[in-house]
Amino acid sequence: VQRRNFVAVFLIALAVVLAGSWFGFSRIEGVSPVEPASSAAAAINDLYIFIGVFAAVIFLSVAIPLALIISRYRERGLPREAEGPQVRGNTRLEVGWTAASVVIVLVIVAFTLYKGHNLNDPDRSFRTAAGDRVLAATEPGLEIAVEGRQYYWRYVYPNGAVSIDRLRLPVDREADLAVTAPDRDVIHSWWAPALNGKMDAIPGVTNHLQFRPTRVGVFEGRCAELCGIQHTAMTLSVEVMPADEFDAWLERAGDAQPDLGKELFEGVCSKCHFAAPEYAPNIIGNPLLADGPRVKQLVQNGIRQMPAVGRGWSERELDALAEYVQQFGGGGGS
Amino acid sequence: VATQVEPIRYPLPWYRGRVMSWVVSTDHKKIGILYLGTSLTFFVAGGILALLIRTQLIQANTDFIVREDYNKIVTMHGTTMVFLAIVPVWAGFANFLIPLMIGARDMAFPRLNALSYWLFLFGGILLYSSWFATGGAPDAGWTSYPPLSVQSQGVGQDLWILSLHVLTVSSLAGAINFIVTIQNLRTAGMTWMRMPLFAWTIYVYAWLLVAVLPALSAGLTLLLLDRQFDTNFFRPDEGGNAILYQHVFWFFGHPEVYIMILPAFGVISEVLPVFSRKPIFGYKAIAFSSVAIGFLSMLVWAHHMFTVGMPVWLQAYFMIASMLIGIPTGMKIYNWIATTWRGNLQFDTAMLFALGFIVVFTIGGLSGIFVAAYPFDWQAQDSYFVVAHFHYVLMGGATFSLFAALFYWWPKIFGRMLDERLGKWTFWLFFIGFNVTFQPQHLLGLLGMNRRVYNYPDENLWNSYNLISSIGSYVMGLGILLFIANVVITTRRGRRAGNDPWIANTLEWYTTSPPPAYNFETVPYVTSARPLRDLRRRIGERLE
Repeated sequence: VQRRNFVAVFLIALAVVLAGSWFGFSRIEGVSPVEPASSAAAAINDLYIFIGVFAAVIFLSVAIPLALIISRYRERGLPREAEGPQVRGNTRLEVGWTAASVVIVLVIVAFTLYKGHNLNDPDRSFRTAAGDRVLAATEPGLEIAVEGRQYYWRYVYPNGAVSIDRLRLPVDREADLAVTAPDRDVIHSWWAPALNGKMDAIPGVTNHLQFRPTRVGVFEGRCAELCGIQHTAMTLSVEVMPADEFDAWLERAGDAQPDLGKELFEGVCSKCHFAAPEYAPNIIGNPLLADGPRVKQLVQNGIRQMPAVGRGWSERELDALAEYVQQFGGGGGS
Repeated sequence: VATQVEPIRYPLPWYRGRVMSWVVSTDHKKIGILYLGTSLTFFVAGGILALLIRTQLIQANTDFIVREDYNKIVTMHGTTMVFLAIVPVWAGFANFLIPLMIGARDMAFPRLNALSYWLFLFGGILLYSSWFATGGAPDAGWTSYPPLSVQSQGVGQDLWILSLHVLTVSSLAGAINFIVTIQNLRTAGMTWMRMPLFAWTIYVYAWLLVAVLPALSAGLTLLLLDRQFDTNFFRPDEGGNAILYQHVFWFFGHPEVYIMILPAFGVISEVLPVFSRKPIFGYKAIAFSSVAIGFLSMLVWAHHMFTVGMPVWLQAYFMIASMLIGIPTGMKIYNWIATTWRGNLQFDTAMLFALGFIVVFTIGGLSGIFVAAYPFDWQAQDSYFVVAHFHYVLMGGATFSLFAALFYWWPKIFGRMLDERLGKWTFWLFFIGFNVTFQPQHLLGLLGMNRRVYNYPDENLWNSYNLISSIGSYVMGLGILLFIANVVITTRRGRRAGNDPWIANTLEWYTTSPPPAYNFETVPYVTSARPLRDLRRRIGERLE
C-alpha cells in the first residue's frame, strides 16, 4: 500500500507540474506573457520560458520529496514521544544540492546575458526576427522623444510632429525611444508589454528603449510608476503601421496636423476635466476657453491644483489646443 | 457585643494596577506581549486595507475607492504591513523568547527595551493619525519616491516621514538590545553552535537593522528637507537627482526584506524538528546560510531599480548578486525537507503552517529567479507579477511562519492551548485563500496589469483573474477571523498547557507556562542544541 502511495503522489505531482508548464509555455492567451510583437519582447519571452523550465524542475525537486514524505510518514500511530532517526546532516548530500544550485544559477545567468546583453543598449548590435545579427551602426533607429507627464504621454517625432498617448511606429524598423520627463514633473514608466519591458521616464534623465516591431497592430500599454491621482488614467497605445503608410503619415504630420487640437484636448485636458469631477470642474461652456491667449497662458503655467500641463509645448501645439477649445467656450452663445 | 472586624484592604501601589503594570513594565515577556498585541492589531488593520483594495479591484470600472483615496489606502497598506506588522511582530516574539531560549532572566537593557516598544506604539499611532490630518493620509506609495512624495500635498507625507523616523529609532534600540543580549547573556554551556536557530536568525536580523536603518533615516531626512525647507536633493532642475533616493531607500529596503524573513526561517527551523521528532538537518548550514543571506542582502539593492536606466554591466552585477541569494535560501529549503524525512510527523497546526511555508516560500523564491533576470524584470517590474512575487515571499513567508509561531508558542506565552480544530480550519482557509489570491496575480502581471491602479481594461481575462483574486482574499480574511475566534474562545476555556506540551527541545519549555517574572529558578547546563531532550534522556536513564 505504501509503495502505491509513493507512485500515486509522484504521478499526480508530475502531472500537475507538467500540465502547468505546458499551459505556461504554450501560447495560450492568459497564461503566458502578452504575445511578443518585437525583437526585444521576443527575446524576453524566450528568457521567461527558459527560466520557467528550471523553475518547474526546482519546484518538483521540492514538492515531490515533500509530498512523498508527508504521505509516507504521516499518522503512523506512534506517540509524540517516539523519535525518528537522529540524523543531524549529511555533508555529501548538502554539498551536492549546494553545487547543483550553483550550476543552475550559472546557467540561468549565462542565458540571461546571452539574451539580454544587447537589449536597450546604445552600442548593441540588433537581431532581426530571423535571428540574423545586424550591426546597429548600419541602421540608426528612428529616434522619437517620449515625455511622461502628469498624466499623459507626449511623443515628438524627428520632423517635429507630435502625438499624445498613441505612438505610431513603422513595422520592421528599429525604434529608439528617448524616454524622459520634464523637470517639474514626477517619475513615470513607459510600458507596452508586447513591444519591450518598461523604461522609467525620470525628470533630468533621458533613457533609451529600443526594439524592432515585427507585427502590424495596435498594442496597449500603461504608465507603470505611481505618478499621482490619475496614474490609472495614464494609459498609452502603440500603433505599428506598414512602413510606407508610416512614412506617408509622418510626412503629412510634419507639415500640418489638423487633429492635433483634439488629440491634445482628449489626452491632456479631458482626463481630469470630465473624468475626475471631484478635482477638476467641467469646463464646457466656460467663456475663458474662447480666449486663446488666456488658454495658452493657463496650460503653460497651471493654476491652483492644475499642473502646468503645457509647459514646454511648441507654438504649434498651443495654437492647436487654443483653436480647438474655442468651440466649448461660447457658453452656448456663439 | 462582638465587633465585626473588616479586613483592611490596602490599595495596590499605583504601579501594580491592571493597566499601569503593563505601562511601567520592563519585563521582556510583558513587553513581548505588548509588541505582539500591537503588531497583530496593525496586521489586522493592514489586512482590512488589503480587502478594501481587493474589493475595488473585484471587477473593472468599480467605483468604490478611486484615485487619491486608492493611493492613500495602497500607501497605508504597504507601510503598515512592513513597518507596523511584520518587523515588530518578530521583535515581539524575539522579546518574549530570546531570553528564555538562551536561559537569561531578561534582555540586556530592560528599560531600553521598554523604550523600543513605546516608540513603536507611538510611531504607529503617528502614522494612523495622518488620516485626520490636513490632506489626509500619505499617498505616494510605501516607497514614497520623490518627486511625487515631495509634490504630495497636505501633511500626510510629513507624518509618514516622522512616523518612520520614530520607528527607525525604536527598531535600532531594539536591535542593539538583541545583539548585546544574545552575545552576552547565554547561559552556561550555550556556545554559538548550541544556540537555538531562532536566536541565530534574530541575531542576523538585529545586525541587519543596525547596518541599514541609518540609510533609511538619511533618505527620510533628505526627503523632509526637500519638502519643508526647499532644499533640492531630489530636484533635477536645481542640481538634485531623483534616483538618489531610490538607491538610499533600497539599500535599506532590500535587507528589510530579509529582516522580515530571516526570523521566519528561524521559526520554521524550530518548529519542523519538534513536530518531526528529529534534530534539524544541517544545523551549521542553516545557521551560516542565515549569515550569508544577511550579508548578500546588502549587495543587491538596485535589482529594485532595473528600469531606471542602468548600464548593462551594472544590471548584470545586480542580477548575479541577487541570484546568489538563491543558493543559501535553497540550501535551507532542502535542509528543512530532509529534517522531516523519516520523522514521526505530528500534524498539529503549527506543523501545517510550517509545511505550508515551505510550499509558498519556494514559489516566491522561484518567481524571484524570474525577476532577478533583469530583462524579464523590465516586464515584471511594477506589474502584478512582482506584486504576486513579493506577496508570496513576504506575506506567504512571514504570515505562514507567524501562524506557525503563534500556534507553537501560544501555550508558552499564555499558558493555554489554542484550539487545534479551529486552527486546522484556519490553516486550510488561509493556505487555499492565499494561493487563490496571489497565483492569478502572476498571470495578471503577464497580461500587463500594473501596480497601484484602481481600474483596468474591462476584458474577460482581466475581470476573471481579478475576481478570483478578490474571492481568495475574502477566504483568507475568513481564516483570520477564525483565528481571532480561536483566541477569544480559548482565552478562558482553553486546555492548560503545562510546561512542555509539544515535548520540545529548547530552554523556554523548561519553565512554567506562562513563565514567572524571573523566568527560571535554575537553568540546566547546556550540552547540545537540544538541552531539553538531553534532560529528558538523563531523567529517563535515571529512572531505568
